[in-house]
Amino acid sequence: MIAEIFIVALLFLLAGFIIPLVVRSDRRILRTISYGCTIFASAFLTTLSLPVLIGSGTIMFPAYAPAGLFSIGFIIDRLAAFFLLLIAVVSFCVALYSLEYSEHTNGGVRRNLLCAGTNLFVLAMVLVVAAADTFSFFLFWELMAAASFILVMYEYDRPSTPRAGIFYFVMTHLSALFVMLGILLLWFESGSFALEHLAGTPSLLATCAFVCLFCGFAIKSGIIPFHKWLPYAHPASPSPISALMSAVMLKVAVYGLLRFILDVFSPELWWGVLILVFGTASAVLGVIYALKEHDLKAMLAYSSIENIGIIFMGIGLYVVMETSGLPVLATIALLGALFHSLNHALFKSLLFLTAGSVIHATHTRDIEHMGGLIHRMPVTGALFCTGSLAIAALPPLNGFASELLIFIAFFTSVTIVDPILKVFLFLCLALFALTSALSAACFVKAFGSVFLGMPRSQESEDAREMPPLMLLGPGILAAACVVLGVFALQVITLAGFAVPLPDLFLVGLLLLMMLVLTYAVLFFTSPRTFRVSETWGCGMHFQEAGAEYTGHGFSEPLDIIFSPLYRTRIRNERQFYDEHNVIFKAGAAEIRLLRVFEEYLYLPVARGFAALTRTIAQFQNGCLDTYILYVFVTVLALLVFLGWSA
Amino acid sequence: MIESAFLAGLIKVLFVGIIITAAYLITARNLMSLVSVYSLQSFTLVIIALLLYLIEGSPVLLAIAAITFASKVLIIPYFIATIQEKIRIKRDIQFHFLSPTSSLLLSMGLMLLVYIALSQVMEGIAERENLFFFGSVLGISLMLMGMMVTFSRKRALTKVLGFLSMENGVLLFGLFVTELPFIIEFLIVIDLIILVLLTTILTVGLDSTLEDYHKRLHRFHLWEDTEEVA
Repeated sequence: MIAEIFIVALLFLLAGFIIPLVVRSDRRILRTISYGCTIFASAFLTTLSLPVLIGSGTIMFPAYAPAGLFSIGFIIDRLAAFFLLLIAVVSFCVALYSLEYSEHTNGGVRRNLLCAGTNLFVLAMVLVVAAADTFSFFLFWELMAAASFILVMYEYDRPSTPRAGIFYFVMTHLSALFVMLGILLLWFESGSFALEHLAGTPSLLATCAFVCLFCGFAIKSGIIPFHKWLPYAHPASPSPISALMSAVMLKVAVYGLLRFILDVFSPELWWGVLILVFGTASAVLGVIYALKEHDLKAMLAYSSIENIGIIFMGIGLYVVMETSGLPVLATIALLGALFHSLNHALFKSLLFLTAGSVIHATHTRDIEHMGGLIHRMPVTGALFCTGSLAIAALPPLNGFASELLIFIAFFTSVTIVDPILKVFLFLCLALFALTSALSAACFVKAFGSVFLGMPRSQESEDAREMPPLMLLGPGILAAACVVLGVFALQVITLAGFAVPLPDLFLVGLLLLMMLVLTYAVLFFTSPRTFRVSETWGCGMHFQEAGAEYTGHGFSEPLDIIFSPLYRTRIRNERQFYDEHNVIFKAGAAEIRLLRVFEEYLYLPVARGFAALTRTIAQFQNGCLDTYILYVFVTVLALLVFLGWSA
Repeated sequence: MIESAFLAGLIKVLFVGIIITAAYLITARNLMSLVSVYSLQSFTLVIIALLLYLIEGSPVLLAIAAITFASKVLIIPYFIATIQEKIRIKRDIQFHFLSPTSSLLLSMGLMLLVYIALSQVMEGIAERENLFFFGSVLGISLMLMGMMVTFSRKRALTKVLGFLSMENGVLLFGLFVTELPFIIEFLIVIDLIILVLLTTILTVGLDSTLEDYHKRLHRFHLWEDTEEVA
């Protein structure tokens, strides 16, 4: 029965992909049907994955093998079911939101491509997660990359989009290349494409396979230093797509890493340390860059890097604990990583969707031009606030629960393992704590700049609340954030795990009671005399938006603390009329943040490749004589080879 | 009946003749003498085929000698000589990649290389069947030298001669090593291709370089393709 539901869900997604492409007409009903397919498929996927997740039954599908070695098969076990659930919930809400969103964007019939692409993208992600062997995994991985690329390029007529698209295309194919290398190495090691467990100490080949797969998944999930595509691709793509990519696609990469670590490899200690180091670096640097960002979507993208870093920390900690013989702590760390994956998917899609609404209303992504939106878009504001509270890991919301699990694993491990590892884990813990604090600061800044104060532009002044459907999708996500936070312990217990997590329901009740009490005390003890007057405005006659505390101002103290990381580049070009540089003609000056990874890592590599390809291109000069010379040299080489090998 | 050792000796002398003609083809600048030398080289091959017939008695060798004589000693050289009278350019002094001297030095090295390589491959045959071994070494060397002419000369005419000389190398190799009936068919096909090529060149201008040639085809409306924009 469950197998049939899965097939029906796939068919729905396929229909949602095909219908808007075949019937090329700019009618709302087409897009509604297409998104309806996504919604139905998501509902089916949810009903299918929940029983698998709670029980322990695994659904196997007979493999389809068109050509001997290569087969396409599906298997849904608990891990796959978990990620299917994650995909389903987010896709459901994103599709609800998109029903209205796509009608409010320009593009005419091109909007059909958006809903078709969304369905294809969701379909590809579902297939990757359900793939039973490495061959089908890679096949669907490529499909996912292609679908997401089309969606990133959707608004191709905007000036910044092609660059973002090419950046994403190169990075995503680099990721696919590494994944393919890893899978091929595994094939050499085991002789099959099945996801088989390689017992015993990993051989050199298996280790290389792990490193390749790690690089592939790290690029796709935006781990620093492979992260640079995220802050470009997210702002370039439509908000529902950003939500899907950030909340779900990055998790599919996490799923890939987990699948190979849990089911294929027998990891060694240094693998865990490697994952932990990259995770910690991403978490800390991600949030530090997010603090400095004033493009709302780029800030959310950096925040995604930070959260993926936290998830990788959990996975790394799991490997470290598992190899150190501490299975209980390992399970807690792994549960933390998985739970945070789900939570991040929920609150990040919530934030991206609400950010999409805000950007749609204000026509800008710059948070310095927003402000005062809480009065104009109260529901959106409340939803964004819920997402911000969750991502800042405040109790009793879900972000707090999952980060607490990882914290517990860290705290408990410090007392047990050997000294060097202990110091290392302590360092990671300290940086993790810093990350959490900075993340809170970052979202205080975001919420404050976007929603509070006075509007800092005419567009913000004129902003209006979104239609109900664009509130319903994020609303469900916000409710899920609250429910998964308050009932975190119950949910994890229901899944069959015992964790030392406090009952956040009680914590929540306690917090609520304190709030009520504080209000009650203030209400009953405050004097009943009122005085109506204006707030002191620093001696100015009237208040204006320009005089307000800005997002930049808020993050300035942190900017100063981390100034060694925010290196600036100063460009000062001047032209003169005379040769002694006396009579000034024209000039340009610019101070901007140094894009460290781009300028010192990506561009040198790209320039190296460009130089190499230019060198190779010289061989094709269009001259017949040269080509005959090549033939001549080849014949000579063959002769030499013949004489040498005989 | 003439003694076969004497015949083998004669063939070896002719081998030297072939090397000299090949060297001349690489270095000579005068187009007219290039054609004569090519004709001489083909004629040497004809004699070698006849001498081999005397040693082995295979009638196929006679057939080869006849075809070669007709096509490469008479028809093709006559063909080219006729055109040369019509065009003004008598000399080809442009070289690509290699100057005549370096080509000569390289071809010496080539022969040495082919000798070493083949002596490794045909271990045993080299001592037993001395003549056949040298024949094959020379065949491959001649082929490579012809190829060298093709890419180091600029005029279309010299390129064609290089190609023809290459084909002579194949014939020489075929005479000594591979099975004959097959090679005859092969030769005829190649000869036909060369004839077609020559005829095409004849129609527009043999004095051009190959890059020029394409433009001329366009100019004379002998080649119409969709890429061309008027």
